[in-house]
Amino acid sequence: MIRLLNVSMMPPGVGQPVLRNLTLSVPQGEFRWLLGPSGAGKSSLLRLLTLETRPSAGQMDLLGVSVSHASRATLRNLRRRIGFVPQDYRLIGEWTVFDNVALPLRLRGASERDTRREAFAVLEWLDVAHLADKRPGTLSGGEQQRTAIARALIGRPELLLADEPTNALEDAQARRLLATFQELIEMGTTVIVATHNEALVREAPAASIILQDGTIANTDSQNGISTRRVERS
Amino acid sequence: MSAPVSPGLRSGSLPLLVALMTLLAGLSLAGLAGVQTLAESWSGAARNATTIEIPSDTPQFADRTHTLVQTLNKTPDVTAVRELSIKEVQTLLAPWLGQVSDSAGLPGLSLPAVLIVAHTGTPDLGTIVHDVLPEAVVEEDRRWGERLNGLGSSLIACAWLAVSLIAAIAVLSVGMTVRRSVMAQRKSVEIVHFLGAGDLTISSRIAGRAALLSLAGGLVGLLLLSPVITMLAQKLTPFSHGAPPTASSSNTWDVLIATWWSTLHVLPRMLLEELGALPLIAACLGWLTAQTVVLVWLRRLP
Repeated sequence: MIRLLNVSMMPPGVGQPVLRNLTLSVPQGEFRWLLGPSGAGKSSLLRLLTLETRPSAGQMDLLGVSVSHASRATLRNLRRRIGFVPQDYRLIGEWTVFDNVALPLRLRGASERDTRREAFAVLEWLDVAHLADKRPGTLSGGEQQRTAIARALIGRPELLLADEPTNALEDAQARRLLATFQELIEMGTTVIVATHNEALVREAPAASIILQDGTIANTDSQNGISTRRVERS
Repeated sequence: MSAPVSPGLRSGSLPLLVALMTLLAGLSLAGLAGVQTLAESWSGAARNATTIEIPSDTPQFADRTHTLVQTLNKTPDVTAVRELSIKEVQTLLAPWLGQVSDSAGLPGLSLPAVLIVAHTGTPDLGTIVHDVLPEAVVEEDRRWGERLNGLGSSLIACAWLAVSLIAAIAVLSVGMTVRRSVMAQRKSVEIVHFLGAGDLTISSRIAGRAALLSLAGGLVGLLLLSPVITMLAQKLTPFSHGAPPTASSSNTWDVLIATWWSTLHVLPRMLLEELGALPLIAACLGWLTAQTVVLVWLRRLP
């Protein structure tokens, strides 16, 4: 469950807020597209939801935790329940693909045997198991993106956030990823995907959060959540 | 190798830095030990000696001097009474009177008799001497001993100050090196932080690496220090009491080690223990400093 109430975000040194009075809620186990033009605040909202920053005003509840007043230890545990596919992949260059993907499970204290089994399962599913011993710097953009997706999916997070997760993928891989998101939703994971890819949105119509100039743009929303469905072309 | 859950420390310069700091700290400690040994030797010698000067114009000079020597020899706690020869007195007074070749002294100037009394404990020599020879001047070397002791204490304080300064500089240097390393790996550290790594998980990995590199640097520093320490041991041999251990083997290697060890044997045991502990102290300082620097740095992240 995600609940934002009048949330604003003003990064230090910036004169005006990049998010203004956002109010929205997303029930557990639902999917949302996060749409809007460049500079609308999609990445800022994802930064809030991945706990990279705290709101400068308003109330934010994530997976049943009030983020605004949470301790560092609470935030740390909350982060372990969130999977994130960043647009720039954010892989650790000195580590192998396997170590990058295994990190979330290791942080949760999983045994090395389970970590290995799960990491290879997800790497095989994304067709990058043969790259397990490679360093991210030697991989193509698509391979790095699939590694980042594998790291986000491992351990079945309760909240999955993705920022343009298909921009380096081929169409078939993108469709397969959407199918995976669907499976996760059925298992109770909340999924929010930010994208500019209109074709992808048309292929999988779903409720959307549309941002414009740091606020919710659409007027036909309920509680700030867009109920607009993108029709299949 | 353990599975990575956080970036480690990247610093090629840390072991070199710690090696140099260990070398400096070792030199300061060795200097401190040397000063302590000398101060103890000086004050020990001065504490147990008294100088008595009998002016040459004292009536019945020779007889009364002889009587005083006999009295002193019978005094409990007095271990030896020695009258300086004319040549020794001339040498003693040479800075004021210049070198005199005539054994009788300077024309028109007769030399006083000088007695050096060695004793244990603190007999009241002044009273005893003045009972026999009121004209005699008693110079308690204890006062010089106290001054030497004061000088020795000042030198020791300076040496400790030097050791403390070196430790402070080492902590600052390690801190800056760790901070540079964290800044260089900022993105990786942020990635693991935002994936849910605890602050202690991140800091412990970096601190563990810092401790290992500091330990290695400390050992190298100790190795660099060993020739200096051996040289110091050779210099301190004249002040050493007790026989050094000897080699019981005919093996050349054993003999070499035994010879080296017998040289080190003259050094205070405390110094050897302090030097041996330097790499461990360096590792502890490295670990603590890295932990602190990383934990403080991580507080910037939400």
